Amino acid sequence: MSDSGDSDVAWTYYKDRPEWRDVTPVPEDEGPNFVVVIAHSEKFVDVYDYFRAILQNNEKSERALHLTKDAVELNPANYTVWQYRRDILKSLGTDLTSELEYVEAVIKNSPKNYQVWHHRRVLVEWLQDPSLELELTRDALMQDPKNYHAWQHRQWAIKTFGLYDREMDFVDNLITEDVRNNSAWNQRYFVVNNHLGWSDLNVQKEICYALEKIKFIKNNESAWNYLRGVLLHDKRSISGNAVVISFCEELYKNKCRSPYLLAFIIDICDEAIKKGETSCLHNATRAVELCQALAGKYDKIRSKYWNYLCEKFKKSQQEEENNKDTENNITEQI
Amino acid sequence: MNNYEENKIMAHRQHVKYFMRFLNVLPSSLSSHDTTRVTIAYFAVSGLDILGAISTMTLDLRSRIIEWIYRLQVHPNKENGDMSMCGFQGSSTVNIDLQENNHFRCGHLAMTYTGLCILLALGDDLSRVNRKALVEGVKALQTEEGNFAATLSGCESDMRFVYCAACISYMLDDWSGFNIERATDYIIKSIGYDYGIAQCPELESHGGTTFCALATLSLTDQLDKLSEQQVEGLKRWLLFRQVDGFQGRPNKPVDTCYSFWVGASLKILDTLQYTNYGSNRKYVYETQDTVVGGFSKWPDTCTDPMHTYLGLAGLSLIGESGLLEIEPTLNITKRAYNHLKSVHVKWQNE
Ligand SMILES: [Zn+2]
Repeated sequence: MSDSGDSDVAWTYYKDRPEWRDVTPVPEDEGPNFVVVIAHSEKFVDVYDYFRAILQNNEKSERALHLTKDAVELNPANYTVWQYRRDILKSLGTDLTSELEYVEAVIKNSPKNYQVWHHRRVLVEWLQDPSLELELTRDALMQDPKNYHAWQHRQWAIKTFGLYDREMDFVDNLITEDVRNNSAWNQRYFVVNNHLGWSDLNVQKEICYALEKIKFIKNNESAWNYLRGVLLHDKRSISGNAVVISFCEELYKNKCRSPYLLAFIIDICDEAIKKGETSCLHNATRAVELCQALAGKYDKIRSKYWNYLCEKFKKSQQEEENNKDTENNITEQI
Repeated sequence: MNNYEENKIMAHRQHVKYFMRFLNVLPSSLSSHDTTRVTIAYFAVSGLDILGAISTMTLDLRSRIIEWIYRLQVHPNKENGDMSMCGFQGSSTVNIDLQENNHFRCGHLAMTYTGLCILLALGDDLSRVNRKALVEGVKALQTEEGNFAATLSGCESDMRFVYCAACISYMLDDWSGFNIERATDYIIKSIGYDYGIAQCPELESHGGTTFCALATLSLTDQLDKLSEQQVEGLKRWLLFRQVDGFQGRPNKPVDTCYSFWVGASLKILDTLQYTNYGSNRKYVYETQDTVVGGFSKWPDTCTDPMHTYLGLAGLSLIGESGLLEIEPTLNITKRAYNHLKSVHVKWQNE
């Protein structure tokens, strides 16, 4: 928020206000050595000189409350002013509904400011009334669907007060609007994890949901990550889920070479190797091929990483071949 | 010469001037940084350190900065000896005697951390730091959950301050104010289904908070608490943040600062060498202002001290010539880190 003090014609300095004549302003004491000096406006200096004075006098009055408003308008990031404002609100027993409205207006102007969201949270805790929080965060997320502060506040309100009922619809709309909105995918996981639960049915439902979105846009990391997340709750995990495996192989057959698809198949191979359950499709040789394809063609920016994984799989490949040799030797001997 | 070639040259001299300007006077449009001036000083001083330019600062300037930082140190309560509010303040906005409201004059973890970084970069021996008091100040801010609040008076608590608390404890060589077990538990609970790490449990994984979490695990020697699956997943998640430069979250635009946040995270996991240095470097240089110095988050946007510092730190991680090496966990130069180690030796012999 910019300090528009000097262009503010109707503004009267606190030092010129008769009703403040009883207060002696306290200037900032920088000491003899100072650096990184901000050339504050005269208005800023005036307001903060009086803020220091009321803080020192421990004055909790209507005029002090009003002064804190001027102070946070000049710097909404000043956590001391916000805290002192809360102390005054408490001491005066001020109606907090109007304070909620006020902080909502400040949030609209500074939606990425930590202190205003914190103030909001404390007010909601005091009131034990979260009825406006979903709407407030929805509005902030309309402006910026990835606003981390808004998501944090929303998750807190939902979790603390159990407001899960319509959250899946909200998430659905956001993902439909922008299938690459990673924050919305994260919220989907949050709802299933805390509310719907990972029953077998829900796991299958969420897998289908993710697959459908991947079919729509194949090169979308958010959907692939979500799929992987859901599979953490599938007893068969990633190498044992026939639906997922046939979906991936179908994409591969249809010439999809998205790095996320290839990486996923590599992980299927990796798990199969670790479980000792390799198949003709999922084994070290396939993993080596896919790593080479990623390094050489489909994900060149990470070629060193894929080459490094490739070396790891080559060792497994060696072991697979040695095992085959021993098996052959055994059959020959028999 | 085309644009790209021109931009590939480090505007070393301009960046030095840029930081020097920020150490001096800032315009009133930066009023919202009023309570966090120490962090701006940190970006400038540590940035000059990376540029190898500490010696070009006059002795007078260096000692003025040191005195200014020490003046922001909050000392134990004179009457009852209470140390819970001890630490460094970010400015002198409420640097006054407050009697009944004394708890408002309190340290802030990010200011204590960056204040100590400044002292180390300037070669101070930390002899005027009240170590015991600072450690008590850290202790007062750890929550039941294991994370830390920024200050004693009304601030949010999250992963950023877990990191600051860990850095302070490490630099003071005293972990008695930091419950490692609880902090580790909080970090592990904040690992997402995609193996990235968030600001708090269940939020979206984020490059900046992943750095805070990983650096903390490294400083507290707890990296072995991560399973192999978590480590490999985390490496993959971090490596996938590279587009040309790095992004902070999947499907978000690339931003200069993540060349440090994600780069340093990868360095901590000994995996940075698997990234593409050339593309990373090229992106960061596209955000350089070669005329007045500084870096911005995106090409052709406004520069700021934070992105300038982190841009340089990110380049230093990949071995850019003309820059001092960076210690990724504490986010200070190796030079400052070695100085810290010598201070530790002195303390151990006391
Ligand atoms: Zn940034």
